[in-house]
Amino acid sequence: MPGRPSDPGGDAIVPFLPDFREPAFHAVRHGVRPPLFRVYVSWSRGSLLHVACLRQPSTEPADKGEDEEPGGKVVEVRLGAGEGGISEAQRRRIAYGSAHSFALLQTQKNSLMAVSRMSSSSFHGEWWQHVLEYSSSISELLVTRRIPSNTIIEDPRMIVQTLEEPTNLKAAWELMEIFFVDKQSSAWLPERLVDWLEDYDSLLTTTESTVFSKLVGMQKELDNLKVIEDDPDYWEGMSSALAVGWLDTVVRLLRLHGSYQLDQLDNREAENGLVEAVSFLISKMPRLRPDLPSEKLGQCYKTKTEFIKAWEEWRGQINSLECSAFWVQCGHHQTREGLQKLLKIMSGNISNLTSTTCHWMELLVSHFLYIRPFMVGLEGINSLARKCRQLKPTPHYNGLMSLLIGILEESPEVVLAECSKSFGPWMVAHGVELLTAGSDHADILLHEERYNLGGISIEELHRLVYAQVLSSHPLTWQIVPTYLASCLKHGVCLLEILLYKQPIQHQQVVLKNLEICQLYELDYISQNIMKIAGMYHWKHGRKGFGIYWLQLAHDEVRLNRIAQQLFECIGKSLSDDSFKQWEGLIELLGTQMGSSGGLEFLHKYRDFKRSLKQVEDGRAANAARQAAESLIQLMRSPSTPQRFWLPLLHDSVKLLNWKAQPLLSVSETNLLLTKLQELSMAKQRPDFVDANLPPHALSSVRLALATNLGRAILEEC
Amino acid sequence: MEREVATLETGAICCAWNYCGQRLAVGFVDGSISIHDSLDCPAASSSSPSSKWKAHGSRVLNVVWAPPECGDAIACICDDGTFSLWEETEEDTQQPTWKLCKLFESSGSCALDLQFSVFYSSLKMVAAYSDGCVKVYELLDPLELNKWQLQAEFQNVLDSVSRFGKAQCTSASIAWNPQRGESQQTSFVLGFSSDLPQFNSSKIWEFEEAHQRWIPVTELALPGDDGDKVDAVAWAPNIGRPFEIIAVATCKGIAIWHVVLDRESDGRLSTEKVALLAGHDGEVWQLEWDMGGMTLASTGSDGTVRLWQSNINGVWHEQAALDCNGAQS
Repeated sequence: MPGRPSDPGGDAIVPFLPDFREPAFHAVRHGVRPPLFRVYVSWSRGSLLHVACLRQPSTEPADKGEDEEPGGKVVEVRLGAGEGGISEAQRRRIAYGSAHSFALLQTQKNSLMAVSRMSSSSFHGEWWQHVLEYSSSISELLVTRRIPSNTIIEDPRMIVQTLEEPTNLKAAWELMEIFFVDKQSSAWLPERLVDWLEDYDSLLTTTESTVFSKLVGMQKELDNLKVIEDDPDYWEGMSSALAVGWLDTVVRLLRLHGSYQLDQLDNREAENGLVEAVSFLISKMPRLRPDLPSEKLGQCYKTKTEFIKAWEEWRGQINSLECSAFWVQCGHHQTREGLQKLLKIMSGNISNLTSTTCHWMELLVSHFLYIRPFMVGLEGINSLARKCRQLKPTPHYNGLMSLLIGILEESPEVVLAECSKSFGPWMVAHGVELLTAGSDHADILLHEERYNLGGISIEELHRLVYAQVLSSHPLTWQIVPTYLASCLKHGVCLLEILLYKQPIQHQQVVLKNLEICQLYELDYISQNIMKIAGMYHWKHGRKGFGIYWLQLAHDEVRLNRIAQQLFECIGKSLSDDSFKQWEGLIELLGTQMGSSGGLEFLHKYRDFKRSLKQVEDGRAANAARQAAESLIQLMRSPSTPQRFWLPLLHDSVKLLNWKAQPLLSVSETNLLLTKLQELSMAKQRPDFVDANLPPHALSSVRLALATNLGRAILEEC
Repeated sequence: MEREVATLETGAICCAWNYCGQRLAVGFVDGSISIHDSLDCPAASSSSPSSKWKAHGSRVLNVVWAPPECGDAIACICDDGTFSLWEETEEDTQQPTWKLCKLFESSGSCALDLQFSVFYSSLKMVAAYSDGCVKVYELLDPLELNKWQLQAEFQNVLDSVSRFGKAQCTSASIAWNPQRGESQQTSFVLGFSSDLPQFNSSKIWEFEEAHQRWIPVTELALPGDDGDKVDAVAWAPNIGRPFEIIAVATCKGIAIWHVVLDRESDGRLSTEKVALLAGHDGEVWQLEWDMGGMTLASTGSDGTVRLWQSNINGVWHEQAALDCNGAQS
């Protein structure tokens, strides 16, 4: 193959690296039988690609049979869509909602920068606040509500039920928020991760089991079990749920224990007491966090000292329960074992934690809960996470986990790459704000201008890419300017290209286009759009509308050409009815194009024709005088083209021979005579344009002028 | 991921989309042209063309849309060497019709490619011929597409003094500098596939206002490659980069060039070949940049569409490939 990347000695300046990621390969379904004669492509809007596949044309004459194969098909290929497991409509909803938050944040950034000039520490303090608000408003948008089930009464056996459909996108966004933005809660970062895992445990992996999948499996079995506490899965599920801190789930499960049933109480008092004691300890677990939602169990402590005190006391209670004599009275073997395992988990037994959790992230969270509740600092968390990954190896990390690893390893490059690869351009364009707020390293990395990128920063590049994606859809291109306005270097130019590529035959689109141009002061492109609209309408039989747009575009070149066309048209048939057809256009042209000489002429000419018509209709004296005045004005005006002189004069013969009185003075008649003389001299020149007038026209004008002159002299004597 | 937008009639051999991608002009083997409309309307696939007419007596080689500033107009190159300009007009109540504006007769050599560009209020057209000649025309009347003036005629060679013999060219590819607005520079890139190596390599031609002439300002080929036949060229839209990006496809692959149009002290342009992309097994048919000049799409005789991008370190790579060789729909 010529020039294959692997060719040694190929003259590629940048040779392909052997470990380069293989390009995504996609088979286009188009229905044209191969071999193809030709493939054509064209970028439609944004990142939409039109592909035309043409079949080899047959040499035989085409017969018009019914089953004739088409000559080719055109398909539209949407590139870079379908990330994050989100529907098209949902994606659009997010696009619209996030545009507002994004714009607000940019405004806040600009005003903050204007005040503090980026240097003072107050900027950072306030900035975080804004980014946090932005982050939560976006997070709110990403919620996908689950349709509530039909049952209104809460089923005590329903152990895994969420109102929100967890999406990878929201999970990823929250991870970014936890680590990069929410500085206030950095002291209880472990607890935030516990909460995060509770919401998104189901997304950790799709191929292996998780605590969530275990509980879902158990949920299915629950209805078939008569004696729940005999089932090892029941105890196993509870241990796992406890290990990751789902206290309320564990307590709810414990309450399903058979010893609670009324008919059992007498025989199983001690057993029931132990179950209740464990569930009490679980519900009183001290947590280092400011608050807990009301339905959640545990005791919150805001300060470390208070927490340590409570923690030691709680651990003491666990120890004393473990050593309690009541265990002997508990006859049910599984219950005894199961409860003791729960106690071991609560006292932080590593082997129990490791065996009851499934995924490394779950193991990490169990460490936070029961072994190292004071863990702060990414470095420590990262080394712990690495150990957990060694203990619970996974052959493949999904996008969410790769993102988390990137965050823990403090590598903005990986975070960015994962955001882009797994969650698409929306995530990158919006997530960059969180990333840069979170670390100086990321801030420098993302804001540094790079020659390779054409002088822009990575942040701007990703905004441009997202803008292109938005421009792919007729319902989202309108929000593109919001993003391009924040791209200081390349945004305006891309916006101009985008606006230029909008179809102008739809009036609504043109108006929207112009509105955007006005907002962003894009005069050049707005003029261009108006020109294109003008030409479109002019060519498509709506001449008045065409002129209207060309006037708005101040397109003097084209308007003058139109005026020229009008002259030519009028020049050919001065007294023809077709003048009526043009009259409106002259009117239109006249309103703003005063500076153009040609149009001035057309206006005067129109006045002249009107008066002349009135003369012909018999409305004599005044009209005749007006017509004569217009004639003189026309003949005096330097903008009246020479080739109109004779037709004008010929039209005015009637005025010159006006019976009641000579309408023109001596000087005026002399002016006309001079013009006539100039005209007869010009006739000798090669570029002279002859008007289509009868051959005697010149002589009849000459005679009429002489008559008028004679009468005027007599009059003026 | 994909959606069918139009079905083309039997005998279709070339096609082109208009500025907004909504209209498709299709050239046929019998010299006809058809127009498909509303390609982006998600409602339905445009199966029958809105108009179809016989433009030439023989095979259409290529169709090219004129910029929207001229209305809806196309140029149609025929294999008899002629090319014609057509525009859509509408009178009052009648349906829009396509009418012939101008037929450019063949004068011994055949037109191979032509491209339009708008400069302020004037329209320029550059056409490349089978004898290696390039002609630049200018439209005299912005309202009518029938009045053209030949502005310049030259051969695609760097050395303008010595005349070369007539080349036999089989294809040509032209791309105007897509820059618009005040900073617009009148320049285009042109490459041939011919039997005379001097004519082949892509050269950037620039209009020198001072002397009112076209000069070749640089050649986009390294020594040793300068005789390679050029399959296709494409000039990327520049949304603010300090350099232009031009893609040139030859038998060796697709070369990506960075060109700085501001001259250095010695009056030369700085050019750099930053990548040579291979992947198409055989001839490259077409190169097409996206609106931001960030992704290059290429098609080739291996029946694939390949998408190329540069990463943040400036390394170009194949991002995706679309295989069109399957028939299933």
